[in-house]
Amino acid sequence: MFKFLFKKERQVQELIFKYLDNLRKTQEHFEKAMDCYFDFGLGENCDFLIAQTHKFESRADDLRNDIIEMMYSKVLIPESRGDIFRLLESIDLILDHFEAVLFMIQGQKIEIPDFIVVDLREFIRVSLECCDLVIRQVEAYFKRTEDIKPLVSIIDSHESRCDHLEREIVGKIFDSDMDPFQKIQFKELVSQIGEISDQADHVSRSVYIINIKRRV
Amino acid sequence: MTSLLGGIFLGWSLGANDAANVFGTAVSSRMIKFWTAAILASCFVLAGALLEGQSGIETLKGLTRFTYNQAIIASIAAACTVTIMTLIGLPVSTSQAVVGAILGVGILNRQLNFAGLGKVVVCWVGTPVGGMVLAIIVYKLLAAIANSINLNIFQSDILLRLCLIIAGSYGAYALGANNVANVTAVFVGAGMLSTSAAALLGGLSIGLGILTFSKKVMETVGQKLVRLDPFSALAVVLAQAVTVHIYALVGVPVSTSQAVIGAVLGVGIIKGVNTIRRRTLVNIFLAWFITPFVASVFALSIDFATHLSYIPG
Repeated sequence: MFKFLFKKERQVQELIFKYLDNLRKTQEHFEKAMDCYFDFGLGENCDFLIAQTHKFESRADDLRNDIIEMMYSKVLIPESRGDIFRLLESIDLILDHFEAVLFMIQGQKIEIPDFIVVDLREFIRVSLECCDLVIRQVEAYFKRTEDIKPLVSIIDSHESRCDHLEREIVGKIFDSDMDPFQKIQFKELVSQIGEISDQADHVSRSVYIINIKRRV
Repeated sequence: MTSLLGGIFLGWSLGANDAANVFGTAVSSRMIKFWTAAILASCFVLAGALLEGQSGIETLKGLTRFTYNQAIIASIAAACTVTIMTLIGLPVSTSQAVVGAILGVGILNRQLNFAGLGKVVVCWVGTPVGGMVLAIIVYKLLAAIANSINLNIFQSDILLRLCLIIAGSYGAYALGANNVANVTAVFVGAGMLSTSAAALLGGLSIGLGILTFSKKVMETVGQKLVRLDPFSALAVVLAQAVTVHIYALVGVPVSTSQAVIGAVLGVGIIKGVNTIRRRTLVNIFLAWFITPFVASVFALSIDFATHLSYIPG
């Protein structure tokens, strides 16, 4: 009935859903870039997909800035503005980690040894599943489509699985007879990939806290 | 008209200071523009004064007999009390200043309606207590409703803003209904104004105070309430409005600030946090005694000064 009075609120809401769509697209391109890298190594296709991921990451920054600018022009109550602002900042770090992994591979011309490829693919798969769940959780929070509490524990268990895989891969790297420099380089890459699920878990907990904080 | 200036000034300062209690939260948190709040508050204050302000006017004018001069003295004494005590940072309530000034006039006349005075004093004590009890009830009721409906962050924020605007408007209505007597009751007692003219003049002067001088107070006082979460602030504004409205129906002008402090205390009790400093409570207690005393002294002094005559030596 009062829809015409709250145009800006609706615009912020639409921008947030656009931001989440963009997050999904960034993730898809990250996944494609990693698949391409594992299957064919660095090359033109892989570079294109890395550039696409970067493009979507930059788009996310623009959308986030638009949301913040609109939010602080008398939309929402201050507490909600702060919550959404921190949530977006936190989600943005996931995108930064996608980009950092790809730039590390591209910039340092990393070649993954065969004995960790399967584990690494599994590690990335579980990390991205974590991100899928986080996007679902954030959407559920904004749309009230499902209870977000069960998602927190699913994301947490995925994150634990990622930690386990990370330790396993790092163990394998240091058990191998690779050059010590390469060992450190791979360890860095694995840690960077591990940041994705860690950050996803952090976002999930933030959403949960924001949600319970609003209960009276 | 000049004889009414004391009352108009009192109404103006009341509007400038007390509008913060009803719209401060919404304005200082930028949920509503100052001008929207100021216009809504002024309109509802005027409506409250015209529709339900008569009862308080009847109570105050019945506390003693007034002559034309005594009505002016009482209004100037109350206005001076509020201004000076505010300037030196002492706790003050317009309602208590007006009653104190009337008390001074009553002492001069050697005629006081002690039954009416007793009713007024009981209501003063009942204001923060009523605010506290109502805040607990209102908070629990609103919380039960809020937790039973599944709204997203945007919907709940929109609802909260609408509720703050409605509660603020209702608070302004209650403020007008309750406090208009402070502004012009003495003039009705002296036969200078009819009750409805007094309600109109009082409502207009409070509204003028809101429109011309309440912005800064709304922003600063409101921020103290915003330190509570917005939901608690809504409960406080609503509890304060209901408390003040009840006393408007009873016909006793009370302090909206004291009703707010009681309501904040009530929300603090529910949430298990200390929302009010002991000093604030001591200040309320002191205001019950100091304000009427100072206003009475002012009324007596002004009366004494007006009767001085120059005798050449």
